[in-house]
Amino acid sequence: MFNLLLYFFLGQERFGNMTRVYYKEAVGAFVVFDISRGSTFEAVLKWKSDLDSKVHLPSGGPIAAVLLANKCDQKKEGSQIPAQMDQFCKEHGFTGWFETSAKDNINIEEAARFLVENILMNQQSFPNEDNDGDRIRLHEKALPAESKSQCC
Amino acid sequence: MADSLPTEFDVIIIGTGLPESILAAACARSGQRVLHVDSRSYYGGNWASFTFSGLLSWLKECEQDSEAGDKSTAAWQNLIQDTEEAIALRGKDDTIRHVEVFCYASEDTGDSAEEIDALQKNPSLVASSTLTKPLDAACLSEETHSDSTSPEMPAKDTPQHDGEILPEVTDREETEVKEKDCGEKTCIHTVSDGAKDENKPVVEDNAGQPKRNRITYSQIVKEGRRFNIDLVSKLLYSQGSLIDLLIKSNVSRYAEFKNVTRILAFREGKVEQVPCSRADVFNSKELTMVEKRMLMKFLTFCLDYEQHPGEYQDFTQRPFSEYLKTQKLTPNLQHFILHSIAMTEPSCLTVDGLKATKHFLQCLGRYGNTPFLFPLYGQGEIPQCFCRMCAVFGGIYCLRHRVQCLVVDKESGRCEAVIDHFGQRISAKYFIVEDSYLSEDTCAGVQYEQISRAVLITDQSVLKADSDQQITMLTVPPAEPGARAVRVAELCSSTMTCMKDTYLVHLTCSSASTAREDLEPVVQELFTPYAETEIDEGDPPKPRLLWALYFNMRDSSGVSRSSYHGLPSNVYVCSGPDCGLGNEHAVKLAETLFQQIFPGEDFCPPPPNPEDIIFDGDDKQPEAPGTNTLIVAKLESSEGSQNLDSPGQHLQN
Repeated sequence: MFNLLLYFFLGQERFGNMTRVYYKEAVGAFVVFDISRGSTFEAVLKWKSDLDSKVHLPSGGPIAAVLLANKCDQKKEGSQIPAQMDQFCKEHGFTGWFETSAKDNINIEEAARFLVENILMNQQSFPNEDNDGDRIRLHEKALPAESKSQCC
Repeated sequence: MADSLPTEFDVIIIGTGLPESILAAACARSGQRVLHVDSRSYYGGNWASFTFSGLLSWLKECEQDSEAGDKSTAAWQNLIQDTEEAIALRGKDDTIRHVEVFCYASEDTGDSAEEIDALQKNPSLVASSTLTKPLDAACLSEETHSDSTSPEMPAKDTPQHDGEILPEVTDREETEVKEKDCGEKTCIHTVSDGAKDENKPVVEDNAGQPKRNRITYSQIVKEGRRFNIDLVSKLLYSQGSLIDLLIKSNVSRYAEFKNVTRILAFREGKVEQVPCSRADVFNSKELTMVEKRMLMKFLTFCLDYEQHPGEYQDFTQRPFSEYLKTQKLTPNLQHFILHSIAMTEPSCLTVDGLKATKHFLQCLGRYGNTPFLFPLYGQGEIPQCFCRMCAVFGGIYCLRHRVQCLVVDKESGRCEAVIDHFGQRISAKYFIVEDSYLSEDTCAGVQYEQISRAVLITDQSVLKADSDQQITMLTVPPAEPGARAVRVAELCSSTMTCMKDTYLVHLTCSSASTAREDLEPVVQELFTPYAETEIDEGDPPKPRLLWALYFNMRDSSGVSRSSYHGLPSNVYVCSGPDCGLGNEHAVKLAETLFQQIFPGEDFCPPPPNPEDIIFDGDDKQPEAPGTNTLIVAKLESSEGSQNLDSPGQHLQN
């Protein structure tokens, strides 16, 4: 029924922030950390807060965000899922979380489905994009045939 | 990250200003493998925009750049072959000079003592390093506090100060700042009442005027994220090459715009509205009936002036201003047309003036009542929009990534590779370098122009209207023959460039001297410094100036490639910002370079439907970090051409 266009920003913005432009039109997000590297979990909240500061739904609320604990194929000594992930997600506005392995294709589709369901739920609650009246989106504007303010 | 960056590309672009970013998008779109780097931690170079604290950081960097010499380290000696030689690139930027900051807004007595002390200790001219530090520290602590609050919400109301006890405002003379010749250094002047902190009640204005809220410096700092302050002040012509490119390439979806709501003129010491549309002319209370007819007649003629050469052919070698005198137009109409509509240089010839007037008129009504649009969040968004397009088509981005040198093959004279600050050698076929990265040696023969810039934070508009949410373009004609016209853009808070109850005002002119010398006279005509007494001067009272920044920016737009020394044939140069109002120069430059490098290729054609640029969902994701990958995951099979542009239409159950 539809395509999901995913943008990946991997490791390139080390300092935990993206430009507003890169977030434009986003309706959902995966925030991914690597269970074998604890530092990547520490960055999760910075990313979430960066995301929420720069993009939101037309209604003003945050976009759906799902947390992925990736590389679960590498579960071994020293790698761990932080305790109380459910609580963590609730506290910090993540819609949910999954243990995933992109490499072994574990839970990827499930996570995507879950995110998409939440995106759609947001769409249904607020189906119309708000327009504060005088913001112009060039790609939506047809070439005006006639305008009374035109001089001559 | 650097060790996993690919070491071979088709095109390497150094600098993320507007022409470079458009070119990057065009290259990636046409299938080239693009590496796009910038030595800064932000996009846009001299086209960037900053939050308030970001701007203060930028000022600090400018100061550091001007102090440090351009040390070139020959760290690449063992990285190049005997058959190769290196062309060093610049370590420190040299494009910003004569930076001066004036802070007029006072401090709240309730604020942290450190901040106030800093100002008290240094009421007169201060070496910037000592003053910036305490301010920055305050900035950062304020900033992080506001960062941790909820997602970007509409700006809160500034607190009311009615009845509150505020420090007495001292007289102007006492806070007069002694100036010494700043030379190249950054000067920060504090013109505030920080030195005298007596708590006295404010004199109430009993004339029935509403008391103006006091905005303090710490409020500006606290609300600093609401500011998006452009280094370059431009507008988009509604019929112009940038708008056309944005729409054609679909990059327009990455930004939103607002209409410039009014065009103003400055005549005989007063700010007046310029009627440009038919409705404006008819409704104008300032023009007589006769004038209205005159203006309409002339503008109608301008719209297709080429069809009536007899009307102007006697004046083709004469200035447009002279021609206007013969055209049955009263002096104020001539002023409007020359300075606020055509907006050409005084020496401009008749045909160019007519052409400019026609362009202005053709732009009316496409989106609104004036010819211009302004991007929400500021001009600094536009280069980023093109960077995003480049990334979507596989371009790789690295900020904070400095290139030390170009590696040139001695025999062929062509550039083969670059060496970055990690010592990594990266090869490519074509190289695009923004002017500010080129070394002093390379630029030894180059003559640069300069742009004088001022950025002001004010508390009211230059011309009061029913709504305070106006986006205004004002041209101040040259003060005397030979001087420069000054272009003023006043932005309200709904442009998302300044906090509520303030305006962000940009002034621009081509430099005759330092920015302050060029622009301060205009600033003084239009605004009154905040530190002055409560009694409002003038009728109507002038808006108050809370904070001002002046700087000169290099204008490399007029430099021809041949002026640069020793550039290999496959190294191309992008200029920095030009002084013009529109973005025509940047777009034209990008397009010209693209056609030189890839003749016959389509320049930024619209992207295909997302379906058509799919990587199969079963492909392994690239492991290399630092790679932007576009992956379309098909959850269900789809029919017809649908994309995520209007998801609301796809709710099929």
